[in-house]
Amino acid sequence: MIHKESKPKQPEIFEVRQIPLPPLDVQYLDNGIPVYIVNTGKIDAVKLEVIFTVGRPHEHKPTVARATSALLKEGTLYKSSAEVAEHFDFYGGSLSTPFSLDYSSLIMYSLTRHIDKLLPVFAELIHYPAFSEKELSTYVENNINDLKVELSKNDVLAYRKLTESIFGKDHPYGYNSGAKAFRELTRSDLQRHFETYFHAGNAVIMLSGNVSPELLPEINRHLGNLRKGERAKGFNSVVARKKVKQIFISKKDAHQTAIALGRRLFTRTHEDYPGMFVLNTILGGYFGSRLMENIREEKGYTYNIYSSVEHLMYDGFFYISTEVGNDFVGKVIAEIEREMERLQTEEIGKAEMKMVRNYILGNLLSMADGPFNIADLYKTYIVENIDISEFNRFVQSIIDIQPARLMELARKHLRKEDMWHVVAGTKNGHPEI
Amino acid sequence: MLQYHSFTLSNGLRFIVHEDDSTPMAALNVLYNVGARDEHPEHTGMAHLFEHLMFSGSANIKNIDLPVQNGGGENNAFTNNDNTNFHEIFPARNIELAFWIEADRMQHLNVTPKTLNTQKKVVVEEFKETTLNEPFGDVWHHLSEMVYPTHPYRWPVIGLKPEHIEKCNLDLANDFYTRFYRPNNAIVSVVGNVKTADMCALAEKWFGSIPAVEMPLRNYPKENEQLEQKRKVIRGGHPAEAIYIAFRMGSRLSPDFYTTDLISDILSSGQSSRLYQNLLKKKRMFNSIDAFISGTIDDGMFVIEGKLNDGITLAAAEKAIWEELDALKNTEVEEYELQKNKNQVESALVFSESGTLNKAINLCFYESIGQLGLINTEMDEYNKVTVADIQRVAIDLFQVDKSCIVWYALD
Repeated sequence: MIHKESKPKQPEIFEVRQIPLPPLDVQYLDNGIPVYIVNTGKIDAVKLEVIFTVGRPHEHKPTVARATSALLKEGTLYKSSAEVAEHFDFYGGSLSTPFSLDYSSLIMYSLTRHIDKLLPVFAELIHYPAFSEKELSTYVENNINDLKVELSKNDVLAYRKLTESIFGKDHPYGYNSGAKAFRELTRSDLQRHFETYFHAGNAVIMLSGNVSPELLPEINRHLGNLRKGERAKGFNSVVARKKVKQIFISKKDAHQTAIALGRRLFTRTHEDYPGMFVLNTILGGYFGSRLMENIREEKGYTYNIYSSVEHLMYDGFFYISTEVGNDFVGKVIAEIEREMERLQTEEIGKAEMKMVRNYILGNLLSMADGPFNIADLYKTYIVENIDISEFNRFVQSIIDIQPARLMELARKHLRKEDMWHVVAGTKNGHPEI
Repeated sequence: MLQYHSFTLSNGLRFIVHEDDSTPMAALNVLYNVGARDEHPEHTGMAHLFEHLMFSGSANIKNIDLPVQNGGGENNAFTNNDNTNFHEIFPARNIELAFWIEADRMQHLNVTPKTLNTQKKVVVEEFKETTLNEPFGDVWHHLSEMVYPTHPYRWPVIGLKPEHIEKCNLDLANDFYTRFYRPNNAIVSVVGNVKTADMCALAEKWFGSIPAVEMPLRNYPKENEQLEQKRKVIRGGHPAEAIYIAFRMGSRLSPDFYTTDLISDILSSGQSSRLYQNLLKKKRMFNSIDAFISGTIDDGMFVIEGKLNDGITLAAAEKAIWEELDALKNTEVEEYELQKNKNQVESALVFSESGTLNKAINLCFYESIGQLGLINTEMDEYNKVTVADIQRVAIDLFQVDKSCIVWYALD
């Protein structure tokens, strides 16, 4: 007798149709700095982020913005870098200065019960940074050494060449920091950048986690007296039109070759933003993307391949990146071009549309997981000066978008004739470059 | 305090559920008690390759990624020396999809010649990307072999060489599956916006009928004491000079685990730590420097890793590190310094509870070492450590004869 097991039925799928973000409270310090507050979650900790919305577009000299930002936590007029580190470490706090091309920020994570000990020193870093010669030279030396290691990686070489080609090597978003730029930094460069821009007029504060009612007056006491100033001017991103090229960077003895393709796009305020978000996801923005399915899962040419749309405050770009076995370079580029072509000529089927929509909405929902994530989501809109209500419109566009519109976008933005190609590694299997 | 409910199905599958209504998500993690230490020495990299093969599809689910993405979720997996983890995170209402997927591939995995062949290629590319192309990426191959002459920790998780992955065949894969991917060799945790009673019912519904098999007792060889220093110099092929010093330490459950972990923190946790302040900031010998423990279940590895600044010789860099280690052996640390490091551990433990998926992975891990309760009491263990313990363990750990040293020289 053949015993036939009944086939277990797939559980029903519920579709996410809205992303319920907790309300965002905003209060103002005495000097006008807005403090955006996300007061939710279960852990007894706080994240405090002070953002100055100035970056590379405001530099008087390359890499100044990044160096100024990084040196903020390396000592004040009254405390050495070591004393600052000692204080934060003792109270289990963490301090970081992640740099984006468009803004500088100083972030502190603290257990709720230690915030009163950490806040005064945190504020001192912003009021009275030392920018000492000694710390600057350590910073420069470390960065030059890091760069040496980074520049030995093919994917880094390819990415740097790509963004430089897209924007031009003198553009704030196009130049690459090299050893020379680091060496030419002086203490007065940092002070000049700091004094011109790091004032209340350019500052925004994000506060998230378990925020007690007493905390805001304390923040006002320490940061409400930061000097006022006029908000820095925006930037008009002008990029010279150039014919795109295929660029080859030869690296002998590479075990793999890095491939990067890309082009200039636009900011988050562009009408094509939601559509390109969906289109990019389909092409290479998630594990089930066409590039992953075809080039990794079907053919095994790579461990990872992805595409990305990067929105900057004053511009944007699109790129595809992968590292592949040297013998597969030509084949992989042909497949990438084929996938871009397919999006321009074949309408995306119903099942795939539904899947990618559900995936994106679930992914957006996961951004509402915990106060720190929620604050980061809000931050994007606040820093780029976009109304928060746009987030709901973005969600609705993702629900509403149709295949015909995506095909139109692919024809507009994903033509291979518009893509810069950079290959770093060996030429195997790719005789035409 | 993390509240959880744990129970075991009749087939031996262990479950842990933790409710958290502050998130819209729910995560499910499955830990299989199988890792690189369970591999045949001629077929290293098998546990990790098999992690990839678990995405081949199963009897009722041809492509696992489709329902995951349709349900608005994400899935991934990772393998280490001791175990293999698979996890999904979904909008909470869709968490049953994770039960369906994990139960189906626990019972009816379907590895085909094509999926095996493709994943072998993908893993070989991963080998190149992480080990051969990455600066200093081969250091684990060197250190593992030096620190562990006999224990299967002597090869890294990715495998000893690409050839071992390339020679895997269907029989080997299926044999591995049959031996290790069984309910009584697994632990499942569910965390997020769920109800415990519902999760108990789903556990029984989807996993209850999967048969258990007898698990052979596993005995991993115990290492002999190392009697003399081991050294290796790698010349050329790397962008900078670097030094690695490793020592074999106790197991995850050994009484001195927490003391040893705190020693690594005193040396390099935070910018006020000794190695950072003394060797990177004051003496400017290193571009980066770090000390950490591997945290494996059997005897672990204590590693100090430094990238050298220009103009510093490897010999001088090594000497400077030894001086810091000797300082810990020769002089008791101040209470203040120990307290500082305990405070940092406390913060880290609190922040590790800020992610749904993190919590799910942690719960499975603690259960896998038979100490689920530790997830709430681990801080007490750190608090018990005294300045005398630090000195005693440092003396025992940092012996020249028991060190394994790798130099990356430019030429």
